[in-house]
Amino acid sequence: MDPNLLAADLSCLSEEDKAKISSIIDNFQIRDSLRTYSSLTERCFSDCVNNFYRKSLGKQEEDCVMRCTQKFLKLSMRVSIRFAELNPDASTQ
Amino acid sequence: MASNNANTPSAFEREQIIGMMEKEMEYRVEMFNKLTHTCFNKCIEGKYKESELNMGENSCIDRCVSKYWQVTNLVGQLLGNNRPPM
Repeated sequence: MDPNLLAADLSCLSEEDKAKISSIIDNFQIRDSLRTYSSLTERCFSDCVNNFYRKSLGKQEEDCVMRCTQKFLKLSMRVSIRFAELNPDASTQ
Repeated sequence: MASNNANTPSAFEREQIIGMMEKEMEYRVEMFNKLTHTCFNKCIEGKYKESELNMGENSCIDRCVSKYWQVTNLVGQLLGNNRPPM
């Protein structure tokens, strides 16, 4: 998340405020990573694990989870590229 | 804290600016996440036959993002018209 892309004018803030903002941005990124982790786990579990005859994951289930995760990450990358193309002038909202 | 200079914002104004920036970031992050999940649901089937995205999925994703963005703008316009400016 790039602070330069925000509409709010941050240029008049002090160093202390900028440090505050920096840590807010870091928190956002951490929170977002954790959210992605848990929602992706839930999604891939729901789609790939459908029976409980065994305690451990079978090879098929493992492969499915791997493909699910990779697909999501590739999709996420593609979405962010397309989104950036649609929204090049991000200083206006 | 009193400001000595017209260009230095007061403590209250600084808090406001930071608060606004936080809200804006929250909005953007949430919007991006919803966009990603929605397009995943619409474009990818739950079978996961392979880890690569095929051509059909790629086109679907591109169009999904484009349409989602158009809907965002449309809804924003409609909401803007029905409400007096803040």
